[in-house]
Amino acid sequence: MKKTPLPIPRISLLWLLVAQVLVILPHLFHLPVWIGGLWLVCATWRIQVFRQRTNYPGGLTKAFMLIAAAAGVYASRGSLMGLDAGVALLVSTFLLKLVELKTRRDALVLVFLGFFTVLTSYLFDDGLPAALYSLLPVTALLAALIGLQQSGLSDKPWPTLRLAGSLLLQAVPLMLVLFVLFPRLGPLWSVPMPGTGGSRGLAESMTPGDIAELSQSSALAFRASFAGPIPPRRDLYWRALTFEQFDGRRWSQLDEMTRSRPDWRPEGPSLSYSIVMQASGQPWLFALDTATTDLEHTRQMGDFRLQRRRPVDQSLLYSVTSWPQARREVQGSPRLDVALQLPDHGNPRARQWAAELKARHGGDPQGLVDDLLGHFAREEYYYTLKPPLAGEDTVDHFLFDTRRGFCAHYAGAMTFVLRAAGIPARVVAGYQGGEVNPAGNYVQVNQFDAHAWVEYWLPGHGWISADPTFQVAPTRIEQGLQQALPAEDTFLADAPLSPLRYRHVEWLNQLRLSWDNLNYTWQRKVLGYQGAEQLKLLESWFGNVDPARIGMILLACLGLLFGGLALVLLKPWKRPHDPLLRQYRRFERLLARQGVRRGAGEGPLAFAERAALALPGQAAEIRAFAQRFAHQRYADAAADPAALRRLLGRLRRQLPWRPWWRTGNASAGVRGG
Amino acid sequence: MRTQLESCLAAVNQVLLGKDRQVRLALACLLARGHLLLEDLPGMGKTTLSHALARVLGLSYQRIQFTSDLLPGDILGTSVFNRDNGQFIFHPGPIFAELVLADEINRATPKSQSALLEAMEERQVTIEGATRPLPEPFFVIATQNPVSQGGTFALPESQLDRFLMRISLGYPARAAEKALLLGEARRDLLPRLEPVLDHAALARIQAEVPGIHASEAVIDYVLRLVEATRSQPAFALGLSPRGSLALLAAARAWAMLAGRDYVIPEDVQAVLPAVAGHRLRDAADPAGHGGGALVQWLLREVTPF
Repeated sequence: MKKTPLPIPRISLLWLLVAQVLVILPHLFHLPVWIGGLWLVCATWRIQVFRQRTNYPGGLTKAFMLIAAAAGVYASRGSLMGLDAGVALLVSTFLLKLVELKTRRDALVLVFLGFFTVLTSYLFDDGLPAALYSLLPVTALLAALIGLQQSGLSDKPWPTLRLAGSLLLQAVPLMLVLFVLFPRLGPLWSVPMPGTGGSRGLAESMTPGDIAELSQSSALAFRASFAGPIPPRRDLYWRALTFEQFDGRRWSQLDEMTRSRPDWRPEGPSLSYSIVMQASGQPWLFALDTATTDLEHTRQMGDFRLQRRRPVDQSLLYSVTSWPQARREVQGSPRLDVALQLPDHGNPRARQWAAELKARHGGDPQGLVDDLLGHFAREEYYYTLKPPLAGEDTVDHFLFDTRRGFCAHYAGAMTFVLRAAGIPARVVAGYQGGEVNPAGNYVQVNQFDAHAWVEYWLPGHGWISADPTFQVAPTRIEQGLQQALPAEDTFLADAPLSPLRYRHVEWLNQLRLSWDNLNYTWQRKVLGYQGAEQLKLLESWFGNVDPARIGMILLACLGLLFGGLALVLLKPWKRPHDPLLRQYRRFERLLARQGVRRGAGEGPLAFAERAALALPGQAAEIRAFAQRFAHQRYADAAADPAALRRLLGRLRRQLPWRPWWRTGNASAGVRGG
Repeated sequence: MRTQLESCLAAVNQVLLGKDRQVRLALACLLARGHLLLEDLPGMGKTTLSHALARVLGLSYQRIQFTSDLLPGDILGTSVFNRDNGQFIFHPGPIFAELVLADEINRATPKSQSALLEAMEERQVTIEGATRPLPEPFFVIATQNPVSQGGTFALPESQLDRFLMRISLGYPARAAEKALLLGEARRDLLPRLEPVLDHAALARIQAEVPGIHASEAVIDYVLRLVEATRSQPAFALGLSPRGSLALLAAARAWAMLAGRDYVIPEDVQAVLPAVAGHRLRDAADPAGHGGGALVQWLLREVTPF
């Protein structure tokens, strides 16, 4: 039997158009521009169809539009695969569906596609504002869905919206239960994360200019909350990675040398803190020296950095314990050779100076290091984000000619000289300091806090950190980059609107800190609530946690929730007290299972006549029950529910068995008392 | 008693073919001591129905053709001076019959209309200071032509309310009309109708109608119906208490015609269009005749349980 397709009510179309705008709005930031044009064309076309000014496009036109959209995606993304291109393709099909929106079925497809598209926007932005915003398109989609289903509301926009909103509110407890209890499954397949492009923090190798460039970015790198008090700013050296190899211009790390486990022992007081880092696209994590973490697939590398097996593509929460006073590799290690590596030639003046220093201090390497640091403090060196261009011999040029540089210049030069003087040394890259947020008691570290310092090895002491930048510009370490560069207008020169530039405006700064605190809480408590965090919470609530138990708790919660909902909706305390009426309701349910439902206004005998016509085999029993019921209820006769029950039983035996879930809502309409 | 009523219906149905339901409603209306408003086009059998009812029930029958120059005296009667004994003698008007057909009631002036309607309500007339009771039983069937409204005085709501029921006969079904064309002229059949009931039997039956049992469940249903007309925004005005009384009385009469001594919701539903249709006004069109659609809404949406 072919059913005639159901048309789309006007209000549903309206809500669909609204929902579509809301759904694609957050995508517009990363989608090609022509998608907006495509939406305009499709929406205009559909509206004109609705106004009967034009017709639906034919098959050829539709095929052309689809191919054009796919070609557009290919042209702007270079592929039809991958996340970026996939989402672009999804959104364009979501828009194209509009022009073939004829029947209710099409509208349903569009609504469900819309829900999916809302979901994909989380892949690009999972912050609190984005999450709150996504409630809007979801509400509009629900309203469109209601407009499709509810003929009574099909021409009233606001009741539809109100119903959608209340549906959403009713779903909140369910959402909370699922959020807390539902196990987070690992991805079934690897989703390639969208590249945000441009610099996202420290890279695998470093020229001095790299960090200066990073200092222009106000993007967030990570936030750290401490279990105890926050250590002073000058102790916050967040290690990311080390550079051991120098080719005369560029420092880079030696991969094979970092695989083995380093030799160290916890010593002195420890610091416990947790870090939420933003996606960096790199595998290394940030931590204070010397750190351990219990994050899975993560280990300490040979140069004391923490590294995860996979790159950090989404914001990541991990907890760290650091022992700042731990002594590292006191006994030496095979890596010491690498820490003495220098290019075969170049920078003769620096080498010569290193030889002089070595001669002067002979067997006292610590004296040599102190002399070297004192040299930076004594002589005229300047801290600047705009160093002059380096010449052929970068270290020489910086040390003896320009004397202007950024942390990377100082760290690089110092390491070079130490190595030339025979002391194993390496450059450590990471972040220094950060901004303490008093509202949330955490440290926020931005990309402009990127820093480089030096680590050298002394027999009997192991690795020791030293920061030549501190000698030149102590304010950089103690107060921050902005304070260290008062004369230069280079701080965040590329981001004139960044609120970080207006830290001196008190209320603006307060607002920014509070907002940041809110985002951080969201990241830590909501996005970070998975894996170990989830397990920890569940264990503190339910004790020993195993999958079966979690399943039971989940089922129990859902049962409670649905039970409560059923109570509120069905109101069993409002069920008829009248025993006759109760029997009649059973009669109704019995017949409803056979597909015969009483209309709201239908009287008992009229309904029985209709049911008898529909079920001629049981006509006698149906009539008998209805007549007995009518007689007992309406005549001046004594109520005898037992007789009704007997008649009902006879009818039930006569009827073919149908499962209870085939029953519909038998008594719709105005409810009587 | 039931057989008597059944044979009454059968006798009228012989004359008025294929209008079983309307005949039954008219009889129910009469048994409930109400008056009937017939609204239909000319030639649909309004006169035949009223005449046949009068014959079958053994009632005296008078017909008043309402025209614009009809005076109250033409309906109620006048006193005429008798020269022989020098006294005024009252000549009763056509209203002093047991069944009065007021044909095309909306053609007369409101003054004449109200003369009739007052008599209907009071069941007595006061002429020149003397109050004269109308015969018992007293039953008025008024007719209206809904189409040609030129020069007519439509009955106001307050007057419509005095009719227990308003029904329209409608076109006959094809089979009924064929039988009509094949058979004798209906007017010729009328004189041959034998009275089935006498006055005493009719009075007894009428007295039994209020005794038909209406359970609390049915009364609750009537109340729900009435409440719906008063609370739902589609209704310009709700049913008055007189309306709910009328509904219950008509339902009782209908139950009696069905041979039951108790009222079921289906009885209420059967008489609801006739009883409530002319008392309801659609809020969107308060002057028009939206009652029928509203009644259908009531039947569909208000649950009897």
